[in-house]
Amino acid sequence: MKILIIEDEKTLSESITAYLKGEEYICETAADYSSALEKTESYNYDCILLDLTLPQGNGMEILRQLRKNNKTDGVLIISAKNAIDDKVAGLNLGADDYLAKPFHLSELSARIAAIIRRKQFEGNNLVRFHEISIDTFAKTVMVKNRPLELTRKEYDLLLYFISNKGRVISKNAIAEHLWGDDMPGNYDFIYTHIKNLRKKLQDASQEDYIRSVYGMGYKFTTG
Amino acid sequence: MRLLSRYNRVNIPATVIVLLVSGLCYYFIIRSVLLNQLDNDLKVEEQEINDYIKLNGHLPDPSDNKDQSVSFQQTDKALVNRSFRSIRLFYKDDNEWISSRQMLFPVAAEGKTYTVSISKSEEETENLIQFILLITLGIVLILLLLLFVINRFLLNNLWQPFNNTLGRLKQFNLSGNPQLNLEYTPIREFADLNDAVTIMGNRVNKDYLRLKNFTENAAHEMQTPLAIINSKLDVMIQDETLNEYQLKHLQEIYNALDRLSNLNQSLLLLTRIENNQFTEKLPIRLDDQVHEKLLLFEEMIESGKLQISLSLFPVTILSNKQLVDILLNNLLNNAIRYNVPNGSINITLAVNSLVIANTSFLPELDDQKVFQRFYRHADSRQEGNGLGLSIVKQICEMAGYSISYRYLNGVHAFEVHFSGTAH
Repeated sequence: MKILIIEDEKTLSESITAYLKGEEYICETAADYSSALEKTESYNYDCILLDLTLPQGNGMEILRQLRKNNKTDGVLIISAKNAIDDKVAGLNLGADDYLAKPFHLSELSARIAAIIRRKQFEGNNLVRFHEISIDTFAKTVMVKNRPLELTRKEYDLLLYFISNKGRVISKNAIAEHLWGDDMPGNYDFIYTHIKNLRKKLQDASQEDYIRSVYGMGYKFTTG
Repeated sequence: MRLLSRYNRVNIPATVIVLLVSGLCYYFIIRSVLLNQLDNDLKVEEQEINDYIKLNGHLPDPSDNKDQSVSFQQTDKALVNRSFRSIRLFYKDDNEWISSRQMLFPVAAEGKTYTVSISKSEEETENLIQFILLITLGIVLILLLLLFVINRFLLNNLWQPFNNTLGRLKQFNLSGNPQLNLEYTPIREFADLNDAVTIMGNRVNKDYLRLKNFTENAAHEMQTPLAIINSKLDVMIQDETLNEYQLKHLQEIYNALDRLSNLNQSLLLLTRIENNQFTEKLPIRLDDQVHEKLLLFEEMIESGKLQISLSLFPVTILSNKQLVDILLNNLLNNAIRYNVPNGSINITLAVNSLVIANTSFLPELDDQKVFQRFYRHADSRQEGNGLGLSIVKQICEMAGYSISYRYLNGVHAFEVHFSGTAH
């Protein structure tokens, strides 16, 4: 999977690259308008992370060029502006999603995974992890070919974990994913959901994939 | 005191005094002119009597009637000069006293000296003076009435441009409608005032816009560094060699970062609402929105063992989806966050209003300050960022709703009134 990160803040694109490398992603970066345009015209990417404010140009223009050239690369806009107009304009121009800065890399990773899933041929809506398979259209989960009943938040949590498998996700990132910005500063609720999800998964597969990392986060892993 | 009353307080007494003084002056001047006239008439009589004596050698017959009486009195001591005086004489015929002008002068006839007294009635003169006084008084009254009417109507009319400007100034609202749009007036003083007010308004507006832009830009500029810190933390915690102590510190950085991001987003949201960036309006079923929000907060409600009682009328309002979402979110979030274990939340949605009433560990809040930015009660444990209710207030202002806070017997209630927009 090839990802292009169009972002003028080098430190940020470095972090994104470092985080995404754990997956099967190959990341390239472009720090300004012209090199971004050059890369998008010469190559195909599974997903392009697009910062709207670039030196010497507007990210929106790159999006326009992509669509003019009938390219079907997935585009995820990452913007510091978070203006509704930008969001609407971007989505109307064919961007697949919009993520406002600042964001958690786990959230970014989950959004990229969702875009790639949607972009794949035959609309691959199945996410697999060992004996667990998630149908993202029907929002159902099968473990060892048997359906697993999950609440909406448990389902969101499981999909989030699998999109970030093998990596530590902070409780803050989980809270934001499940409740948005306005989560009271109390993470007991996450613990409850994780405990329930863990128990259900264990009952169904006899495996325990969720590991707690010193109370600061969780990791979904086999090892 | 109104300017008009202040003006009248000086103007009316001054006018009355001037008119009375001029009336008195009139009286004396006209009186002396008329007396002079009478005296001249008397002198003519004197001449006639002298001529008569010269011609006939004896005195004429005395006469006595109301208009004019002539009498002669023999005297030893002859008068040197003629003299005039005003006296009141009694007329037997009419049985009344009449004000008269009398002239005394000496004549010599048949070898004797006489003092002649000629009297002429002053009645006509007095009538004239009375008449003049009446007219003067009438003028005073008419003038006063006129002044009153002029002040009342003309001055009010004259001040109209001033009142218009004042009205516009009262409605002046930087975040709502910052344009003054003062009416044209041909009166120079008011035109000057309007010019000055317009210049001031524009300057205030410009300063305000600059400040608002600054806030927005500052918040925007902060987003990228925040994103970098966040991403560095996300990468850093992947390190398997970190120990519990280090991770604990990282967790605290995360928490502080969350607070900062949250604050920044709230500031941005405030400027965005002020900038009217949420214009799209859709019909929204408020009761459904409340149910949805409660579902979002279900864990917090359950963990606090909060009793939720709902009385939701199926209300549809035409409003911006995001703003309504934020409004409900902030109000419900507060109702849950500041509640006590086993506390209660009452949500009442009627055709025109939404009331969220809840128990809380906080005492009564200062209703003057409760919607102010960064106002937090001292006991609120620094939970929120102090902007939640300011955002609610701002949303209400933009949407034309009103919001109020009440406190009764330990229950805090926030009421949003959808002024006539519900149906």
